[in-house]
Amino acid sequence: MNDGPLIVQSDKTLLLEIDHERAQECRRAIAPFAELERSPEHVHTYRLTPLGLWNARAAGHDAEEVVNTLLTFSRYAVPHALLVDVAETMARYGRLRLDKHPTHGLVLSSTDRPVLEEVLRAKKIKPMLGERIDGPDGDSVVVHPSERGNLKQALLKLGWPAEDWAGYVDGEAHAIDLVEDGWELRDYQRDAADSFWHGGSGVVVLPCGAGKTIVGASAMAHAKATTLILVTNTVSARQWKDELLKRTTLTEDEIGEYSGAMKEVRPVTIATYQVLTLRRKGVYPHLDLLDARDWGLIVYDEVHLLPAPIFRMTANLQARRRIGLTATLVREDGREGDVFSLIGPKRYDAPWKDIEAQGWIAPADCVEVRVTLSDSERLTYAVAEPEEKYRLAACTPRKTDVVRRLVDQHAGQPTLVIGQYIDQLDELAETLDAPVIKGETPVKERQRLFDAFRSGELSLLVVSKVANFSIDLPSAEVAIQVSGSFGSRQEEAQRLGRLLRPKDEGKSAHFYTLVSRDTVDADFAANRQRFLAEQGYAYRIVDAQDL
Amino acid sequence: MSDTAHRPPLSQGVSQGAVRPARTLAEHLRTWSDERLSALLRARPDLTTPAPHDSSQVASRAGTRASVQRALDDLTTLELAVLDACVVLGHASREETVAAVHGDPVRVSAALDHLIDLALVWESPGGVRALSGVADLLRGDLASGVSGLRPVLPHALSRTEAVERVARLSAPARGLLEHVADSGGEATSGRARTPHRPEDATTPVEEVLAHGLLVPTQNGALHLPGQVGLALRGGHTTRLPVDDLPELAVTARDPALVDRVAAGAAFEAVRRLELLLDHWGQHPPTVLRSGGLAVRDLKAVVDELHVDAHQAALLLEAAVAADLLAEGHDADGVAAWLPTHAFDAWSESPPAERWTALVRGWFTTTRLPGLVGRKDASGKTRNALAPDASSQFAPEARDHALRQLAALPPGGALASGTGLPSLVERLRWLRPRRPVTRDEMVGWAVQEAAMLGLTGLDALASYAREVVAGDLDAAADQLAPLLPTPVAHLLVQADLTAVAPGPLAGDLARTLHLLADVESRGGATVYRFTTGSLRRALDAGWGAEEIHDFLASISRTPIPQPLTYLVDDVVRTFGSVRVGHAESFLRADDAQAITELLHHPKVAQLELRRIAPTVLVSSLPVDLLLPRLRELGTAPVVEAPDGTVHVARRHLLRTRTPRPTPVPAVARARDTARVSAVLAAVRAGDRAAASAPARPAVATTPITALAMLREAIESATTVVIGYVDNHGTTTDRVVDPRRLEGGQLTAYDHRTEGPKAFAVHRITSVTPAVGDQ
Repeated sequence: MNDGPLIVQSDKTLLLEIDHERAQECRRAIAPFAELERSPEHVHTYRLTPLGLWNARAAGHDAEEVVNTLLTFSRYAVPHALLVDVAETMARYGRLRLDKHPTHGLVLSSTDRPVLEEVLRAKKIKPMLGERIDGPDGDSVVVHPSERGNLKQALLKLGWPAEDWAGYVDGEAHAIDLVEDGWELRDYQRDAADSFWHGGSGVVVLPCGAGKTIVGASAMAHAKATTLILVTNTVSARQWKDELLKRTTLTEDEIGEYSGAMKEVRPVTIATYQVLTLRRKGVYPHLDLLDARDWGLIVYDEVHLLPAPIFRMTANLQARRRIGLTATLVREDGREGDVFSLIGPKRYDAPWKDIEAQGWIAPADCVEVRVTLSDSERLTYAVAEPEEKYRLAACTPRKTDVVRRLVDQHAGQPTLVIGQYIDQLDELAETLDAPVIKGETPVKERQRLFDAFRSGELSLLVVSKVANFSIDLPSAEVAIQVSGSFGSRQEEAQRLGRLLRPKDEGKSAHFYTLVSRDTVDADFAANRQRFLAEQGYAYRIVDAQDL
Repeated sequence: MSDTAHRPPLSQGVSQGAVRPARTLAEHLRTWSDERLSALLRARPDLTTPAPHDSSQVASRAGTRASVQRALDDLTTLELAVLDACVVLGHASREETVAAVHGDPVRVSAALDHLIDLALVWESPGGVRALSGVADLLRGDLASGVSGLRPVLPHALSRTEAVERVARLSAPARGLLEHVADSGGEATSGRARTPHRPEDATTPVEEVLAHGLLVPTQNGALHLPGQVGLALRGGHTTRLPVDDLPELAVTARDPALVDRVAAGAAFEAVRRLELLLDHWGQHPPTVLRSGGLAVRDLKAVVDELHVDAHQAALLLEAAVAADLLAEGHDADGVAAWLPTHAFDAWSESPPAERWTALVRGWFTTTRLPGLVGRKDASGKTRNALAPDASSQFAPEARDHALRQLAALPPGGALASGTGLPSLVERLRWLRPRRPVTRDEMVGWAVQEAAMLGLTGLDALASYAREVVAGDLDAAADQLAPLLPTPVAHLLVQADLTAVAPGPLAGDLARTLHLLADVESRGGATVYRFTTGSLRRALDAGWGAEEIHDFLASISRTPIPQPLTYLVDDVVRTFGSVRVGHAESFLRADDAQAITELLHHPKVAQLELRRIAPTVLVSSLPVDLLLPRLRELGTAPVVEAPDGTVHVARRHLLRTRTPRPTPVPAVARARDTARVSAVLAAVRAGDRAAASAPARPAVATTPITALAMLREAIESATTVVIGYVDNHGTTTDRVVDPRRLEGGQLTAYDHRTEGPKAFAVHRITSVTPAVGDQ
């Protein structure tokens, strides 16, 4: 009997026992084709998905390699059906390819006639295609250039993902170079940018804190063309700008910001998803930005958050190089397929040992504090309308008291109090005598407060969900979450990932979540707990009176 | 290709150095050794039921139409071709017969020996001859070894003459003759005349007729005699060689890998079936009125087990065949598919033994799971477990297909694409008389063998070779180390999952099913603890302490705090009630009073047990307890039995095991015993016959009469029969019996000088004709 660390289940999950001596080796071997689903303390769960397998194909791995890896590391016999399925799935990638034909322009071609016939008969695909050209080297059919993205999306849905070899436009040239003074490109960052460049378009998966911005900058240095960078929000846009100024030859004048506040279009433009997807009277007034210049490269930050309208726009941008940056390919809305077909396959995934060297999983003490509602509150809660229940439970005044005790416990340590409801935050800010950052706080004021917090002037900050994304507050040591948006796992990941960056001297951070016992608040909390544990954060639950 | 690869001799070396040629088949059989005769009885089991009295009865039974047909169905193309040659040559020497078959003489000779061993051919004074019934039953084309030539006419031209005359034919005449030979050997002459000299012939037909190569028959047709056919085909009965065993298209695989893949499938099959039947024990699906399982229920199985419909049907059919599943009645008395009592024993046994039981069921079942989901002749979809989707040839198709795989070296696999067709081709050669549906059955057999884990990567696993060889115990022993070893521990994680990194030993799996929901199955099982699952456990009578203890006892790692918290939290909100065996209870608000009572010197007889600070239980009924308590000086009151939680064991339904399936070893032993009993009887009968008055004996009982008539047919001798005619008068007729079937004797009547049919029941006696002795 083989004594491998991996157990291959018939439902296509792979269980990796991480205390096993060969676990590291195995993890590296399966990472290219299996998606990490959960990473609790003893057994990590990976899943084999068609997309994962196709990503592996796009990265140059073949089915035999995958099957061999499974057989090598598997402790038990691998179900035959699963091996067959892997081989069959991987064989589907690349049967169809998009090419640039010297006379006919964009064509969809295949050496496998039955496959081509099958897709040509699909109702959704027919209108995207033009006349048929059968050559000696295989059969092709003309594709309307405007349908390149839609076609790829539709083919993926049919299970015949096409390989895109049709190339890219160069875009308007613009000199961009990296300036490596006092820092240098890490090996994996260089590898990531290189493999993206060779692949043409695609997604680079790097854990939080591994320097995705620098990979983006490096990609721009490869392209040496005008670049559009799409980011999640304004604060993040500022951070990108700062990084680019620091790491590249770009100057302040060359970088424009296109957000709610400013509408600058410059050789390198950083736009927020929000402004692009702003909709007035049924039209997107800011969509023109996409055609405002002859962009040579489009950078998508946090691909896993890319909103649906951006996908639609991206479908029309298939001739431009695209790079997606993310820490996880798992999307809450399950649109991983669209990322694959419209932005591109996964081009790079950092090896685990590097992630660990980065200290991705920072030692964090996650504690869920259970607060018991008072009898009168329970009665109010019991008779409340369903849509009011969460708010009632989340905003119980009892939490205020607990927050104060926690803040006192961690006096002197940089502490963030995070919440969903403005009233509650205002009340907390008043009780704790701390500044509050919420949606209506001007960006300048926000920046000032964040800077003060970073520099240590300020040790307590009450923030709303505006702090969820793309804000580096590496100095935060304590976070107290009083309410969240109905238990979104994504939000939890962001809050944790953003706020609990690795600390100096290996100090551990504290993450408290306050939950009202026996209410929907606790139900949502269960979701979050699960997520925390799946991400490998140890957590415990205590009752408020036991603090 | 080895000579005997496809057929081991029935009995070693007994047909060599054959004894003095016998005059009749019965006589021939009498000279056989016990070993050889029992080999025959084993190969043709229909000869033994009912037990024959003596050799002549064995011989006469061997010649009946039904028996010959059965024997023919088990022959290979080569053997059929040899038999066909015997029929064509009629009565020729062994050497002549062997030479007439287009093939390697050694192999042909071996095939001939086999036919003799099977008593389809016997060695008479003039050489070897086929049983008379064989000729009629040899139908088919070249692919089934039938040459299509007519028998050699003994009184027409000799074989050498035939060769010479054929050689002299013009090309068109030869072409014509070949056409006649290839299309059944019969023709009509039309208006062609028969010239006296070949030189006078003006057409090819006339040329042929002039040479006497087509012989006119009484009804005006022309026959091509066997000798001419042989001459046309170069002295052979067929143009093409008939001993080419089709090659299998094979690729080599790593045997260790094959075993691992197959064992994986084997484990999955067992696990899935156990899972399903466990489920059906609680929620059985109903039996359709037409028998079988509803499409909806099969769909549920497909979803539950993550398999396709074919595999689901396969598992069900194998379970029925292994007596693990049968029709029974659910709690409401409705006919339902239920696990049997045998299932309980089965699920307790080690996985490897469970697998062999399942595989044995599959090997023997005549059901065809591959048909499930297809439309039958009337356009209705076939249901799983329905009685009609079956074929008696299915077990044979499986056995043959796997035997071919077993003959390959370890790791030898069917090549992808061409492997299966080549296997079908070979089986067609081995059993050409099997029905046309065989292609599909062989395909299914191969597919199903993979699903059950007999094969992996299209090669037979090492342990499956033992299955094919019939040694299931050895198979189980070899399979066991390949299966995941049972584990007795869990890895409990903070995300409230627990991973059992292998199949759980003993009853742990069932306990965990209660405590947690299964999230993923396979070699390992992933369980998730939820509020719901823990409540279920609490509903079934578990308490918080018990759960904590149980988890602590089987977890290899410390229990994560969140799980402990969850358990306590669920218990907190759950009105935890435990039920035990007690006839009565005592409770008081005052814990002191209870303690006092417990420490009373006379309390032992009350069999009290403290289950909570204020509650005691007793195994005495209330009516006994009450007076004794009063004697102790307390003043108890009786409480009405309200508000107690009723906890019952899960209701598991079982039905009767239909019949004990004989273990192969037992079956073999039984077989051997039966054959030797028959053999003893036959020998005794022969001795009795030998010590009876010397021949010519007059056969006056129907049994002896029939036996004598059959003998006469085989030996082509003349007999005198006493026959009651239409007027009731008995006359003696001198006849040459030709055929005996359907209560009619067809014989050449010497009086009318023509064939005549006699009703067997009117034959009063049979006597060998004088002078024929």
